[in-house]
Parts: sequence; C-alpha cells; structure tokens
Amino acid sequence: MKKHKVLIANRGEIAIRILRACQDLGQDFVCVYTREDAQSEHCTEALKHGGEDSLYRISSYQDPNEIFAVADHSQATAVHPGYGFFAEDFRFARRVVQRSRKLEFIGPSWKIIQDLGDKINTKRLARQLNVPTIPGSDRPIFDDLEAEEVARSLFNFQIEQGIEQPVILVKASAGGGGMGIEEVNDPDRFRNVLRKVKNYARRQFRDEGVLIEQRIFDFNHLEVQILADSHGNVVHFGTRNCTVQSTGRQKRIEVAPGFDPSAVSYAFDAGKVLNDVIEYSVHMAQNVGYNSIGTWEWIVSPTGKPFLMEVNTRIQVENGVSAIIARIEDMEVDLIREQIRIGLGEKMDFDQGSIKFEGVGIEYRILAEDPGNAFTPWVGRIEKFSWPEHPWLRMHTHIPRDRVYDIPTEFDPNLALGIVWGKNLKEAQKRGLTFLNQLTLQGRNNMGENLKSNISYLKEKTDSLLVF
Amino acid sequence: MIDTISILNEIKQAPYKEITISAPHSGRIEFAVDQIGTRVKGASGTWFERPGTLLARLVREGNPKPVYAPENGEVVKFHDVNDREFVQAGTPLMTIRHFLTKQEVMDIILKKALHLFNAPEKGRYYFVAEIDAKIKSQGLRSVSVKEGDEVLILSRMKRETTIPYHGPQGIIYTSYFNSNESVEMGAPLFGVCPEDQVKDIKAVIDKIQSGWEEQE
Repeated sequence: MKKHKVLIANRGEIAIRILRACQDLGQDFVCVYTREDAQSEHCTEALKHGGEDSLYRISSYQDPNEIFAVADHSQATAVHPGYGFFAEDFRFARRVVQRSRKLEFIGPSWKIIQDLGDKINTKRLARQLNVPTIPGSDRPIFDDLEAEEVARSLFNFQIEQGIEQPVILVKASAGGGGMGIEEVNDPDRFRNVLRKVKNYARRQFRDEGVLIEQRIFDFNHLEVQILADSHGNVVHFGTRNCTVQSTGRQKRIEVAPGFDPSAVSYAFDAGKVLNDVIEYSVHMAQNVGYNSIGTWEWIVSPTGKPFLMEVNTRIQVENGVSAIIARIEDMEVDLIREQIRIGLGEKMDFDQGSIKFEGVGIEYRILAEDPGNAFTPWVGRIEKFSWPEHPWLRMHTHIPRDRVYDIPTEFDPNLALGIVWGKNLKEAQKRGLTFLNQLTLQGRNNMGENLKSNISYLKEKTDSLLVF
Repeated sequence: MIDTISILNEIKQAPYKEITISAPHSGRIEFAVDQIGTRVKGASGTWFERPGTLLARLVREGNPKPVYAPENGEVVKFHDVNDREFVQAGTPLMTIRHFLTKQEVMDIILKKALHLFNAPEKGRYYFVAEIDAKIKSQGLRSVSVKEGDEVLILSRMKRETTIPYHGPQGIIYTSYFNSNESVEMGAPLFGVCPEDQVKDIKAVIDKIQSGWEEQE
C-alpha cells in the first residue's frame, strides 16, 4: 500500500478513531482543531502520536480553504472527512480530487455523494429501482401553496388508507441526522409549522426547501451497513436497530443485528425483513456504483413493511456496533480502517462469504443532557469521567480522563460511545447494564448544579431493546 | 440617574484600548504594514463600506484574504511572526493602540444606564422572527418588550430554545450580539430603556457628544 498522509478534517472521537486506523495501516496523519476544541483528546492524541507537526489550529471545521491550506502546508496526500461537516458535501469531495494539488478523498466519489447525499434524489433513485420509499414528496418544495397541496393530499391518502388520525412530517430538505423535522396532525396547523421549519432551515442550513411525508407511527429504525470498493465489490455488514432516540429524533442506542427473532417475538417475519432490507440496499449500492462505506437507513412499520428513508454516504457514528459483531478470518473488523484502505485505492480483499456475524452488539451514546426535560443539553464542566476496562467493551471518547473538561456549545453534544458485545441479546443487555452502572460521569455548571446525563435513561431502555 | 461626568473623567484617565490583530484563518501571512508607530485607520463611510488600512494578507489556496485595521490607531507591537510564514488561525500578528471613539464611550456609559438583558447560557442568539422583521423594517428602537415576552432564540448544539425576556418594560435601545458568534453566559445581549427614561438617556448621549473629543 502506498504511503499516505491523511488529513483528518474532523474533531472529537471520530478524529481519534481515524487517527488510530491510520496508525494501524502505517499511514501518517495530520489533525485540525478550533479554539473551542483545544482541550479535546483528539488534540492530545495527535500530539502524542504524531508530534507538533501533526496538529493545526483552524478557525472553523467548515472552511474548506483553511483545510486545504493545512493540507498543503503539512504535505497531506488524502483527506478523511469523518462524519458531519464535509462528509456529505459533494462540492468539497470534488474539490479534493480536482484541485491543482490533488488529494485522495476517503469516501465515495463526489458524483455518488451528489446523487445519494441528497435524500430527495435518493428517494427518486430508489423508486426507479423499485425499492420501497415513504409516501410523500420526492423533491424540495419552496412554494407555500404547493406545500399545502402536498400536505392536503397526504392527509387524504391516509384517511383513504383507514388511518384515523393521519399525521404528516415537514422536514428541512437540507437537514440531516433528525434536525429540522416537525410533525402536523391538524391540517389547519400546517401553515404555522411550515413557516417554523422554513425559518429553522434558513438559519441552520441557508436553504428553505422542505420535504413533506406521511408520518409512520410506531416504526423501528433500521440500518444496513454497506462497504463497496471502486472495483465493483459490494458487501454488507448486516443490520442495526436505531429505534431508541431522543425526542429530537437523535439516536441514543444502536443494536446489531436489527432484530433478534431468536429472543424476541415479532408480529411479522423479522428474519425476512432483515434479509429484504439488506437485499434492497446491496442492490441499490451495486446499481449506483457505490464505492466506499455507507449506510442505507430504513423504517419498518408495525406490520413489517420496510421503507427506505435515506442513504448516508459516510462513516456513521454507530459503525462500531456493526463492526463488533463481524469477523473476518476470526478477527474483529474495523470499518474505518477498511474505509481508508478502499479510499486510498486498495481492492477489498474479502467477500461476503468471508464475513461472519457473531453475537449481539449494543452501542450507548453517553451525553450530558436532561432526558426528563426534552433532552435539553447540559452545559458545564466535566470533573470526573471513568470506567473499568472489559474485554467486551469498546469505549470511544474525546473527553479527557486526567483533567477537567468544559463542554463546548458549538458542536453536537455527544460525549462518548460505549459499545458492548455479548454472545446473545441477553448477555449483551446484562453487560450493557454492568457498563452503565460502573460508569462515572460527574461535573458542575456555572451555577454549581450537578451534571445531568442520560445514563439512567439508557439503563431504562436496555431491558426492552429490539422489542417491537 | 448615573453620574456621567465622573464616568467620563474615569475613562479619560485611560482613553485607549489595545486591539490584538490575529490571523483569521490558517494560511501564509504577508504583511502590508511592518513598522511600529504606523498610524492606521478603521473602516469608514456611512455603511463602513470603505475598509480600514490593509495590515496584511492571509493567503489560502492561492487566494489572498485581506486583514484590515478594525479601528483607527497606532501599531505598537509586532508579535513573533515572520513575513510569508505559515500561521495557524488565531496566531497574534500585531497590536494596535486605539483611542476610544464617542460611540465606544457611549456604549460604555449606556451599559451602565440601560437595563441589560444578559445571556442566560452560552450559545448563539437570534431575535425571534417577529422582532427580527420589525427591527429590519423599523429599526431597533421600534421594539418594546415586557416581562415574559419571547424575544430571543438560543441556538446551541444545533438545538433551538426560545428565551423569554425578564426585566422592566421598555424599548430595546441597543443590542450587543452578533448572530454569527457565540455569546458567553452572562454577556449582555441587549439594553432596554423604560420609555419614560428615553429623554434622560438622550441627555447622557448629548453630554458625551460635547464632552469627548475624538483623536485620530
């Protein structure tokens, strides 16, 4: 494998995981950080493993000129965007590979990001391939009258289906990760909600376009982990269930595999649903010439009907929970490492048959937030953060354990990911509770109030994981 | 009412502020000003459309980004950065000593005279849509607020919360925040003047207008 220097255009725990994957592959790396992130462990790790020339301060993670200035100065040859920021920005990916000093982009080709990164395009592509999608608009709507017309027809459609209390969702089309989504159950309220979502979308994404869709109740949120290279090879790493979410539709627990018919009884053929979503996802990845890591996101209705929601053309936060149940030649998989190898032009050296799945994985997202108060983020200083190591536990965090840490308000509020493995669901749940009970997370805010975390919420949800 | 004369006298004891000019981004810096003692000018014009003195250029991706003097003043220090060196964002480049303007003195005194509504939490703030529209069409002082009115949206960690106003009823006389930047907890967001005190505030401003002489 050719020697590269990878610029990690991201922060926090994912920057650390990418840095370690680079080290595993014998590749050099360079990290960036902003003023607010100076205390993040990704900076400490960069300095520790790469020395002073491995860390550069920038004004923003969202300024491409600055990322490229650092890439050139540090002689980087590739860029890993992580998740968020530039990960699904096809213009950035295109610039990486087309600028005068060309770099490798560790992600799908920019054309694929353009096609699939936009959930509306994805919906259209899926419909062309007979992949089931949620009833509703398949392009951004900017005109209020048109939006009202689509909303009215969706209300009528649900009434015709026998749904007594129809509900629709208004989504910021430029949004993602559950941001900018509101529901409407009263057609008379639609106009107000539309205005609210458009205002939010303008402030957060500078794009007022909205999507309007039927709201499907009591669904499960499933994902299919895909890995593909530029030589036409496509494999999957099974399914994940991401149904446990905060009120703002932010994931809090992910479980792999997505259903467990051996331990839980379902009102439908859960094994068939898992096979179907995998088959649809692989089929679509093959058809679009997908060439990196990616996630096909599904919702499954209470009657076991799957609908494709969107495709995330990047590594996801929860990749580790799929990796922990996958084995290639009896070795645990590191999906970030595989993504980097493929991104640097390597051919996949395994096929679907060599991927074995073993046991159940649970990923807990640890946040400073108040689940009892609409999951409001808690801001303050973390004074103590510790946990005992276990062979079945993988912990990913950018929070230092040897000093206090002020939580920056500029970014997502994730503090850590704790991933546990068990030979079956029951053992994974038991280990999950052990992990949460042994976790110490303490701090105070400016008013002297104790840190609020979601640990109790995670414990409470553990018992009913994968129950539909 | 506040004692404007003694505050003014206090400010006159040290009528300067030192401004550190830092690299706005990472990139190669090219100095346009390189002598200590150089007099520089800040942005000018009705809409501050004329930029200040060019201090340096920061080159990224072959694009030079000008770094202008934000205020009038004199360069009193150069930090340890060589011309054409690659600098990281936030690296201090030079220090300018700036003589306080009438507006700045007014701001200092108004902060003492107005009821300040401070940031309850760290984050970015926006006026709610109705107030924002009114400010844009009729100006800041057209907005009257009273206890409990929803005035601001706090945005942090990609979540938005509406913030109600606490304090005396009055008009929003001045605002101190920029929606593009995060505001520290406790920093003033806007100043409110009860309507029956607007006259007194104008008298304070008149005193400053006559009692403060601006220097270049």
